[in-house]
Amino acid sequence: LNAAPGRAPRQHVRFLPAPADGGATGLVPMRVPVLADHPLVRGPRFRQLKIGAGHRLDVKASGVFVLGIGHGNKLLTDLYNCHLTRVYTIGGLFGKATDDFSDTGKLVEKTTFDHITREKLERILAVIQGTNHKALLMYSNIDMKTQEAYELAVRGLIRPMGKSPPIITAIRCLQFTLPEFQLEIHCLHETQQYLRKVVHEIGLELKSSAVCTQVRRIRDGVFTLDDALLRTQWDLQNIQNAISGCQLKVKTEIERILG
Amino acid sequence: RRRAEMWRALRGARRPPPALRRGLAQREGPRSVRQLREAEEAAPVIQYAGKAAKRKDRVFVWGFCYSGALGVPSFVKPDVGWKKPRRIQSTPYRLETAEKISSAACGYGFTLLSSSTADITKVWGMGLNKDSQLGFQRSRRDQMKGYEYVLEPSPIPLPLDKPQQTRVLQVSCGRAHSLILTDSEGVFTMGNNSYGQCGRKIVEDEIYSESHLIHQLKEFDSRVVQVVCGQDHSLFRTKNGTVYACGWGADGQTGLGHYNITSVPTKLHGDIAGVNIIQVSSCGDCCLAVSDEGDVFGWGNSEYLQLACVTETTQVNVPRHLPFKIGKIKEAACGGTGNVVLTEEGNVFVWGYGILGKGPNLIETAVPEMIPPSLFGCSDFSPDIRVAHIRCGLSHFAAITNRGELFVWGKNLRGCLGTGRMEDQYFPWRVTVPGEVMDVACGADHMVCMVKSFT
Repeated sequence: LNAAPGRAPRQHVRFLPAPADGGATGLVPMRVPVLADHPLVRGPRFRQLKIGAGHRLDVKASGVFVLGIGHGNKLLTDLYNCHLTRVYTIGGLFGKATDDFSDTGKLVEKTTFDHITREKLERILAVIQGTNHKALLMYSNIDMKTQEAYELAVRGLIRPMGKSPPIITAIRCLQFTLPEFQLEIHCLHETQQYLRKVVHEIGLELKSSAVCTQVRRIRDGVFTLDDALLRTQWDLQNIQNAISGCQLKVKTEIERILG
Repeated sequence: RRRAEMWRALRGARRPPPALRRGLAQREGPRSVRQLREAEEAAPVIQYAGKAAKRKDRVFVWGFCYSGALGVPSFVKPDVGWKKPRRIQSTPYRLETAEKISSAACGYGFTLLSSSTADITKVWGMGLNKDSQLGFQRSRRDQMKGYEYVLEPSPIPLPLDKPQQTRVLQVSCGRAHSLILTDSEGVFTMGNNSYGQCGRKIVEDEIYSESHLIHQLKEFDSRVVQVVCGQDHSLFRTKNGTVYACGWGADGQTGLGHYNITSVPTKLHGDIAGVNIIQVSSCGDCCLAVSDEGDVFGWGNSEYLQLACVTETTQVNVPRHLPFKIGKIKEAACGGTGNVVLTEEGNVFVWGYGILGKGPNLIETAVPEMIPPSLFGCSDFSPDIRVAHIRCGLSHFAAITNRGELFVWGKNLRGCLGTGRMEDQYFPWRVTVPGEVMDVACGADHMVCMVKSFT
């Protein structure tokens, strides 16, 4: 950023001594740049950048991580108040239970898993989705007896607009090859450790045990994997393109929800 | 100085003794990755469920407890002295049963559970027994008297010819009478017969409590495949598709063309003559029947606009075809004041009066209104969720989806909805039951559901 050509220095009119006609020194008005604007005096234009982070992503997880730069931090608070859902791909492994629910933790127990079928897993996922849907309606603090509550429930627009425990709005199984399986989870107000705990609990429900091998966020509100920049793309041009590409999306989403 | 010495001695005594030499033991340091991996591989593998593990069948009950209809004696008479009796069980509670229950029915303050076993005990009953609707339950204190309230599932002795071969297919309960359907010995009826609802001759001033009388009905044109109890009348559906009725008829619910009492099961005519009926339903004083072609017929009480689409009269005593243009109908259920049908596509239509399930604004309608499938969990994420069965209580409704989830809505009389809250529910709400719901029975103020565990 600092290498980019900066603002041209201001010009002002100074009366400088210069030889006039006839040999006598006179004052001639000339346009000269202001010394205070000289790059060696001013120094680099950007010394610090204000960068804010969106929803947390812990060390063992990967995926889309939203950052705000400078004035974009104000949009970050607005996005937080929109309470949008995030989508994760969770990889799990049957047969082990560890103390921190991931495969790098201390082993607690090993169990058999050959009785698990995809059908049983889908049944459990349907029940998880059902109870979380009920929690969604309950934490949204709407009076269930009103007609508006009924209309919102029909359209599926009821969601908690304040603080709430983690809620899973949708969950489904993408792949299932014993002992590994992969789930796609849409959730609100969650932490990655909570998702690992969900994998552990699925293992317990199926009368076996499971650990989480991979947590990858593939969508955070309006930002998807296509908008995300890879490690090799962290340079000025890509960042500027990404910001301009997402601006419209973010603005429309905030206006739609917060009005 | 002596005090200081005393304190020093005490402090010295409390000091821990010097660490003992461990001898040849190694120091326990941080283990290497290889050691951890080896320890992991050497750990024992525990088996909780084998490959052939079967899903268990369970029964859950909830609702009003004081009548004993839930079958848990500790709700009414707690085991411990300091506990108070529980009036309402507002969330599903597991009921331990001796056998796998295949059919359950809830009446007004009593419940019948039946199993399709070949053992001698096939039917259990609990709750009110003031009209012997649960048969004669001999009291343990006095051998001559019977129990008026049965607090836990007690076997009902049936006078079967072949007790170890006949199987009980279905049970049904009305206000004060009950019907038990067997596969080869007809229908057994017990309970109040003051309107002839048990299908036997009415005896003047008969005392129904502590009665041993169980009547057997065999004279139908073919084998009976479904029995349904309304409030004070009984309906029988045979294999040929004909419907028989007996009992009180002042609202025309017997459908026999008159408003009198019938004490012998008589065949119905009207619009269902010659039609193959595949399902009959009744809970209060209105009755609905579904034919194999997807048409629905109704008769009985119409004060709440249940049959208002065909007639203005409030009592209809002959079955009338209800010309609804909502598609082929698969199942119908009648409630006290509202009715619900399920079409082949899996859509649920309600009409009548009361809390119908479309918000607080819809109180009564004569034309069926569809309940949006999104309320049952159908969305872009899971588009193939359909409602599989519908049931009706006196003022509430229940629906079971194809994923085994139970949705209830309606008036929450004494906690009968099972949602955990005491307020009425104006749109379908999930009941969290730990298992896949197979069937549910709705009574006036309690419900019973049969559930299969997940794994």
